[in-house]
Amino acid sequence: MRLTVNGNAIDIDADPDMPLLWALRDLAGVLGPKFGCGIAACGACTVHIDGTPVRSCALPVGEVDGDILTIDGLATDGKLHPVQQAWLEEQVAQCGYCQAGQIMSAVALLDEIANPTDEDIDNAMGGNLCRCGTYPRIRSAIKRAAALKTAGI
Amino acid sequence: MRGPALVAASIMLVVAAAAIAHSQETQPAPALAVDTATGLPEWEKVYAVFSHPRCANCHVDDNRPRWSGPEFPMAKVHGFNVQGGADGSGFGNPGLRCTTCHFATNSPMRHGPPGAESWHLAPPEMVWFGKSSAEICAQTKDPERNGDRTLEEIATHVRDDGLVGWGWDPGPGRQPAPGSAEQTFLAIQRWAAAGAPCP
Repeated sequence: MRLTVNGNAIDIDADPDMPLLWALRDLAGVLGPKFGCGIAACGACTVHIDGTPVRSCALPVGEVDGDILTIDGLATDGKLHPVQQAWLEEQVAQCGYCQAGQIMSAVALLDEIANPTDEDIDNAMGGNLCRCGTYPRIRSAIKRAAALKTAGI
Repeated sequence: MRGPALVAASIMLVVAAAAIAHSQETQPAPALAVDTATGLPEWEKVYAVFSHPRCANCHVDDNRPRWSGPEFPMAKVHGFNVQGGADGSGFGNPGLRCTTCHFATNSPMRHGPPGAESWHLAPPEMVWFGKSSAEICAQTKDPERNGDRTLEEIATHVRDDGLVGWGWDPGPGRQPAPGSAEQTFLAIQRWAAAGAPCP
């Protein structure tokens, strides 16, 4: 089957029931999305399909219908996405394991709500767990990213 | 002299006919005979389905789906701050849609996300969670709270809708709703034919 990942067409030989995360990491060599729980309960594996965030550890690859965007493809022409830039500026990461999923959910939020409130952020990010407890910095980074994005940076 | 008398008689007839027609328009339609003895047992079958956690967990009035049923020690709101959506869509919030985790098919993993096409919350006026049989019955018959459906349309919706049908095929570790979609369809039809009595 053929997947479109970060703008690249990738042909893989996979059982349709294989979770997308397995196909990405083990067959396509796309290592940004992380395995956390395997049952869509932590968010570390979050990628976008046609702009909608999905937990790739629970999505059968045979059900994928659309272009896949992972954190590996978020920067364009060597320039970080505003959410990535804000993550650096706010020094969000502790261990960093969940950050790829956190960032992909934050990107999806800002694609729909340019200047999210605290409530908007809580509503969007509740499915992305961080065992290091970096939630205050995540919230700050999302607000900083909103400002960067609005300013066109 | 017969002319004016005929005209007057004709006018009286027209007026009388109009009065009768007006009377018929303002009278409520004659109620269907309600066969409680036949209808109530059929409604109880329907209520057993509608109130089952596989169905009622997503028929809530507070925008928050539930995790409840025999698999759970107590009823809880869905984890992860999941909601029907601030936009009222029932499909979740920006950044965390229902379809972020709930795909077209059930996860084969125990405790993995169940799945069906178009996973979303029912509109809040269709609340079933925590409601009595009488309350759900009244809601089911009320077009303002049942999606403007006739009872026949409700029956076919229950039989044919993929997300409703998930209730009888909920994936590993979850108790299915009682009976089947077809049996519930027939129960709704029999209940409706009996005049749709409510407890």
